[in-house]
Amino acid sequence: MSDAVLVRSDHLCKTYPDGHVTALVDVNLRIGRGEYVAIMGPSGSGKSTLLNLLGALDRPTSGEIIFDGQPLSTLRDLDRFRAEKVGFVFQSFHLLPTLTALENVQIPMFEGRLSAAARARRAAALLDVVGMAHRLDHVPGQLSVGERQRVAIARALANDPVLLLADEPTGNLDSRTAADILALFDQLHREHGKTIVMVTHGQDVAERAQRILRMRDGRLLEP
Amino acid sequence: MYFATFILKNIVRRRLRSMLTVLGVAIAVGAAVALLGIADGFERSFLSLYQQRGVELIVVRAGKAERSTSFLDERIAERLRRLPGVAQVMGGLVDAVEIPGSGLQAVLVQGWYADSPLFDALRFVSGRRFRPDESHVAVLGSVIARNLGKKEGDAVSLYGEDFQILGVFESFNHFENGCVVINIRDLQRLLGVGNKVTGFQVVVEPAPNKQALVDRLRGEIEALTDDRGHRLPLSALPTADAVSTTSQLRLIKAQSWITSVIAVVIGSIGVLNTMLMSVFERTREIGILRAIGWRRRRVVRMVLAESLLLSLAGAVVGILFGLALTFALSRVPMAAGYVEGTIAPSVLLGGLAIAVLVGLLGGVYPAWRAARLLPTEALRHE
Repeated sequence: MSDAVLVRSDHLCKTYPDGHVTALVDVNLRIGRGEYVAIMGPSGSGKSTLLNLLGALDRPTSGEIIFDGQPLSTLRDLDRFRAEKVGFVFQSFHLLPTLTALENVQIPMFEGRLSAAARARRAAALLDVVGMAHRLDHVPGQLSVGERQRVAIARALANDPVLLLADEPTGNLDSRTAADILALFDQLHREHGKTIVMVTHGQDVAERAQRILRMRDGRLLEP
Repeated sequence: MYFATFILKNIVRRRLRSMLTVLGVAIAVGAAVALLGIADGFERSFLSLYQQRGVELIVVRAGKAERSTSFLDERIAERLRRLPGVAQVMGGLVDAVEIPGSGLQAVLVQGWYADSPLFDALRFVSGRRFRPDESHVAVLGSVIARNLGKKEGDAVSLYGEDFQILGVFESFNHFENGCVVINIRDLQRLLGVGNKVTGFQVVVEPAPNKQALVDRLRGEIEALTDDRGHRLPLSALPTADAVSTTSQLRLIKAQSWITSVIAVVIGSIGVLNTMLMSVFERTREIGILRAIGWRRRRVVRMVLAESLLLSLAGAVVGILFGLALTFALSRVPMAAGYVEGTIAPSVLLGGLAIAVLVGLLGGVYPAWRAARLLPTEALRHE
């Protein structure tokens, strides 16, 4: 059933023009709608490159990504696609330091149609989902690292994307905080039906996912 | 949150740098506004000098580059008066003097006939005007009287001779308040010009088509000939032309325009520098914004809005600065006779326009650089 597949990649290759080693070689994968997938592999194995391509941050050198039946190469406005369909969570959170939690979550919403008041309401609701309702008016500097990642996750959910892409989301967290954040991803997967692709180094982190993809030297290893 | 709130927070976040940039733009806009304002005020003041008295034509010697040094025989006034449609002809002699010990370097001295209608527009604050037979007497405008610290009954030294002050007047015109008026016979003698005048101000009779009448008179005046049939060396200029082509005014205007252009260039470079630096510093942040869904267009809008906000803030401060400067200048004796102390709204709008130009010029390139950043490159910039 093709509509059970949310993202598919066909013979995906990526080379960087600066002469570095080929980042991705002939990657073929399928990620089901509502699936929770972890990507593991050593540094430089192409995990982040793959994540960037899946999130339309970058275009492949060759090959194709088909998202929800739509080849990304046919889209002229990748920014818009990204704004509507994908939410990114980063290892170092990347919140804007001068904005409060409530304001940070609203940043992606500027591209949508909500009024300023509706943006604030929606941001407050999302912060409630990630358990940050009590910290709306705090700036990142006043929050613990775990709390910052929660705010960043709320921001990734701002435009209600179908796909959440997370690049080492627990890489900067201690194990207890990491467990809380992973529980939050579980909840988003289970209760909110989000499709999640998470890049990680940790076996224990990856085991939270339904499926683990392993990469080495730009290739996807057969399971 | 509004997008504008976000822009404002970005500006406030780099407080010192934003303040310095605003200050730079403010100085540029302030200087431009003050100079353009002074030139504009000068021109309007000059123009009103004639217009308030209904003067339509200024008659001076043809071919003179510097009109204040024009000399014409005062008897030409009679020829002008006889032309149909002419209501009034007012001759006068003008010179500029230095008044010793006053620090004032170019005080305008007007030589008027004792019965000149030019006096009709003056209101005497104290004393009276002079009679035809009175010599070594003067009346002073209120501004020059104040700057010299003189009043009725005092003496003022002109061309090394003492003149008794008969009265102090208030004119409708700021410019005229900075003048000393003496008997034209005295000034002709002092300048050694016999019975010459600098020129004539011509008031025309009311007519349904005044422009046509003025045009006709212009032709007739310039065609006047002497007894031997030679054409008189006369040039009759419509008042507005006479004012706008005054050499001093042209010089002031040219200077203020050049200053304004320099202000725009310096202001733009300041904003450009600030915005470029802020875009480079925020490379990663801009990458994040792109990654979480911002389009290029919004990044461009963000950078342009920031640079426009900076320069508009600079314009507001600069306009206040320019107003304060002209006001202060109008209090300085040296300049008080020339500077009115207010700036026309049109010039203030010009200051805002300069700021918008500065904001755009300074913001376009940084915005383009920001929009060109690839989100992946920006993210790698850790």
